[in-house]
Amino acid sequence: MSMLYDEGHEAIANESRRVLDARMDKGRLLSLLECVGQYDEAFWSTAVEQGWSALAIAEEHGGLGLGLLELGLVAQASGAGTAGAPFLTPTYGVAHAIEDSGDQSARSAWLPRLASGEVLASVAFAEGSSPLPLKPSVQFTDGILKGSKSSVTGGLKADISLIWASIDGVPALVLAELAGAKRAPVESFDNSRLLADIDFSGIAATLLATGDAAQELALDALARMAVVTAHEQVGGAEALLMTARDYALTRKAFGQPIGAFQSVKHRIAEMYGLVEIARANCIHAAARVGQPDFLVAAADARLSATEAYDTAARDCVQVHGGIGVTWEQGLHLHMRRARTLAMEQGNMLFWEDLLVEQITGVAA
Amino acid sequence: MTDLDTYRSDALNWLESVAPRFGREARIGLSVEEDLALGRQYMAERHDAGYSGINWPTEFGGQGLTHIEKVAFDTEEMAFGMPTGYFGISLGMPVPILMRYGLGEASEHLDWVKERVLKALRGEEIWCQLFSEPAGGSDLAGLRTRAETDGNGWKLNGQKLWTSWAQYCDYGVIVARTDPAVAKHKGLTYYWVDMKAPGVEVRPIKLAGGDSHVNEVFFDDVRLEDSQRMSPVGGGFGVAMATLMIERYVATDSGGFGPHLDLFVDLMRELEINGRPALSDGRVRSAIARNHAMRAGLESITTRAMLMMQAGMEPGPEGSLNKLVSVRSRQKLSEMAIDLSGTSGFHFDPHAPQKQDWGSSWINAPTGRIAGGADEMLLNTIAEKILGLPQDHRPDKGVPFNQIPA
Repeated sequence: MSMLYDEGHEAIANESRRVLDARMDKGRLLSLLECVGQYDEAFWSTAVEQGWSALAIAEEHGGLGLGLLELGLVAQASGAGTAGAPFLTPTYGVAHAIEDSGDQSARSAWLPRLASGEVLASVAFAEGSSPLPLKPSVQFTDGILKGSKSSVTGGLKADISLIWASIDGVPALVLAELAGAKRAPVESFDNSRLLADIDFSGIAATLLATGDAAQELALDALARMAVVTAHEQVGGAEALLMTARDYALTRKAFGQPIGAFQSVKHRIAEMYGLVEIARANCIHAAARVGQPDFLVAAADARLSATEAYDTAARDCVQVHGGIGVTWEQGLHLHMRRARTLAMEQGNMLFWEDLLVEQITGVAA
Repeated sequence: MTDLDTYRSDALNWLESVAPRFGREARIGLSVEEDLALGRQYMAERHDAGYSGINWPTEFGGQGLTHIEKVAFDTEEMAFGMPTGYFGISLGMPVPILMRYGLGEASEHLDWVKERVLKALRGEEIWCQLFSEPAGGSDLAGLRTRAETDGNGWKLNGQKLWTSWAQYCDYGVIVARTDPAVAKHKGLTYYWVDMKAPGVEVRPIKLAGGDSHVNEVFFDDVRLEDSQRMSPVGGGFGVAMATLMIERYVATDSGGFGPHLDLFVDLMRELEINGRPALSDGRVRSAIARNHAMRAGLESITTRAMLMMQAGMEPGPEGSLNKLVSVRSRQKLSEMAIDLSGTSGFHFDPHAPQKQDWGSSWINAPTGRIAGGADEMLLNTIAEKILGLPQDHRPDKGVPFNQIPA
């Protein structure tokens, strides 16, 4: 896959940005922060209407048959507007795990409905500080789950969940309908992510893979989602870069635009560097999907994108001074989202260790 | 295979065939003079093989190809450690600018220029770039070396500084002040100068790392013919800018021209921290991972730029990040490599190559962060040219040069 965007890619990037610019509403996003259990349904209906849920699902299963490069561009536009809803990335990860598991009935049961957006997906891998624990505590016995996961993104409203569990001490990847699961909302600094503690005990699940195959499938799904998230982070970081630039051009102090002071202009120039390095890593990773070096490329993208978004969130607020910390100005939407995205799909330590293990063969 | 792949693999075959005589291993233990002589021989053979002046016109002894082939060749060549350093500036800036601005109004100097270009390509002559001065580095237009009219020619007086390889050079290009009564950018004129002319004195400067590739160059009543002038009188700053812009896309090194990250990993494999393998230490893993991500990003930027050029597109401005980001990272990684080496970290060989040795990489890293655009100037360029932020406050703007407080 080429690392050059073609005209089709430019069209996807421009169209997704245009649609979101027209429909996103800062006031709506701000109000979502103050209530638990609601998400940006307007974004999700836009995503479904625009075919974004179907984008990277194969045509034979009702999708559009495009890939990570294209979904990455949509994620980038979503990240710029702190949209993204909690379902864009998990839909892709879950769909891919189902597709790659080879389970025909799971494919036909779920893929068309994931593509059409009528089924909402979540991914429940992490436990405590481990994004993909060696010995998951959730047990899968005789088709029934036992145990719980904390702070599952989208967990409050998801219809299905891809769960990292154990069968007799061997890791397993299972898919469950959540209708019967007990869910408790988690109050968060980014409430529209619909975080939930989910107790899966007593509900039925379908086994997709066990042992090494499960490990491989789960890691691939996590890496793919990490690349989508990295694009979202780049979109957010770039939006902050431009916001900081625009503010530094208009705000005057000591008789000149603050962007004429090197302490400010260099801070913004450094942001540019981080954004462009992360963007290049994201494009590379999206182009390497399915190749032996994909995990390394995904880790590079994830690490640089997290650094870019975190730094941009800190520094853009700093460039704004007092106005930057007000509720109404809304930069905190990015601060909050930057933190959320830094933790979803595994934190920096996880990806650092994974990257080093991949290139040196030495595990942490 | 694409044509470029074929070109690359042919180039690699040639490089491998001459590497035993000219490559890194062959140069170990040579004095600078011996190494330079080897370099001249390499340049002659490289020209014979058709890998010099790759993107220059054939009428000047070049190959008439594009900068894509040139960058491809340079990237392959860089891995072999060939003795090309003495000729890098010469062929990178002064000689191309001579082809563009040195021909004369009616191309009356064409034959002379052709002869110079050919000799430069073959390593027989070397050109230097006499720009920086004690009072003008980042602020190039603040330079004080002056050229005054002298009959039908000019008389040059003053001092240049940080001139790379001047002690081995035959010619140089120089910017001098011809009118101190106008604003600083407007009173400059561009010439070429014979480095062997009476009144030119070159004094090498020993740098912190111990080597002396840069010089002070003094000009004491050096006679310049008007035919040596390469810009309109007062139009020298424009040609100076053209000189600095001449190679927008050059072979880059995400390692900041220091050791490859693999060498850091190899070193860590041999070390222990608290009785455990260093590679198991979280701090070491973090440094490796962060540097890997940064370097991979720079490499992807370069790869995309090359693909864009091949597709006939203009690459984005993000290519300008390479030196800024890679060299300062190399500086920190070199410090860490030395620190973690413990007692053996004190060992220092001033002649060790910067791309292989952490001590040498470390002590020479500051040069990389200053030469060819200091970090601060590169940040200014990104802020102003790419992001459209305002220029710094410049109290000397529009002020006649001779009224700027010294």
